[in-house]
Amino acid sequence: MTNRTTPDDGSSVLSRELIIENVLGLHARPAAMLAKLASRFDCDISIKKDGAEVSAKSLMGLLSLEAARGTKLLFSVDGPDAEQAIDEITRLIESKFGENE
Amino acid sequence: MQGQRKYRGNSKSVSVSDFFGAGQDALGLEIVSGQDEMGRTISEPAMNRPGLALSGFLQYFAHRRVQVLGHAENAYLLSLDEATRVERIRKMLECRVPCVVITRNRKIISGITELANESRTPVLKSGMITGDFVNRATIIMEDLQTPVMKIQGTMMDILGVGVLIMCAPGIGKSETAMALLRRGHSLVSDDLTDLKMDSSGVVIASCPTGIRYHMELHGLGIIHVPSIFGVASVRGRKTLDLVIKLARAETLRDAGPDDPNAVVAMLGSSVTCVTIPVAPGRDIAGLVEIAALDQKLKKLGHDAAKELDEKLIKRMSEGRD
Repeated sequence: MTNRTTPDDGSSVLSRELIIENVLGLHARPAAMLAKLASRFDCDISIKKDGAEVSAKSLMGLLSLEAARGTKLLFSVDGPDAEQAIDEITRLIESKFGENE
Repeated sequence: MQGQRKYRGNSKSVSVSDFFGAGQDALGLEIVSGQDEMGRTISEPAMNRPGLALSGFLQYFAHRRVQVLGHAENAYLLSLDEATRVERIRKMLECRVPCVVITRNRKIISGITELANESRTPVLKSGMITGDFVNRATIIMEDLQTPVMKIQGTMMDILGVGVLIMCAPGIGKSETAMALLRRGHSLVSDDLTDLKMDSSGVVIASCPTGIRYHMELHGLGIIHVPSIFGVASVRGRKTLDLVIKLARAETLRDAGPDDPNAVVAMLGSSVTCVTIPVAPGRDIAGLVEIAALDQKLKKLGHDAAKELDEKLIKRMSEGRD
């Protein structure tokens, strides 16, 4: 479901595509959880969707994505704790933000 | 009644002496007998007119309340022959009522004080009309029973919203209050606030009398707020609408996401609670002000976060279909 791409061009950027699985999409509560989680890391975390790019640490940015269920988001993580950040974000999104169907 | 029952558990214990002290002027109370028995506890704030008890029916007798003998009880007792009268009064007093109040300055029925002394029950009197006495005495009793507490926190009135600012020492409670004063808001109490709950369950904040309208600023010492900011900068009491906790940003890093429905319990009542992370460069007073205004909007039924969320969910679900 997710797909890990670590470019070989010498940069330390980690990229991973994640799919929003919860029914209501990335609405206020999950977006707040994601922003809060992302803010704990020192690395830069950006999300690309349909040509738009926002920071995962910005709640308003996340909401502006209007990422409904099934939306593919491309995460790019750059920094010392990038690996841990992308793993925890993956876990959060795959857990459907704790939302039941 | 529902609301009362909710907080009756932590209401204060009130003695006959407390009731007498509070009602001496307001109710014109005088002690007839039993001065040494004034320590008795009144555990229910309502007044009782013991007509049924005096007629001999003691089932469900509200014996924990102040017993008020008015015109009717007096006339009834006088209509009985002496032996019956003594018997009935004794039966009532044997239920260990906290005290008896005779209203309308009725002549004290002979024998009643002796019987009261026998059961060590204080007897008070008042010149008031019974109905008025019952109303006012009940309010006084409820006020005496009201749960109270002191809490470490600075209370402000921000455009009509009562905000209690709480944090660990040294984070800048007083400095935040001062910045809010400079913006034209008013201070209820700095650093230590008295809270009490009224009979409808609303929590009301005020300042401990001795330190009223003063605040301490690190490095400056104690200042008198109305002398510096004008008389409009202080107010005596304010309902508590919002609790704002200030916490160092780094201590909040691992906390869960902000909970828009967070509350804290104050005297058993739930009050909305917002936690504001403090970090260099953040305008805390400005944030507190916005939090108060947002709370005001929510009270008016306008919850911006919820409305945006609903709008987004709708847009996303339409986009998917």
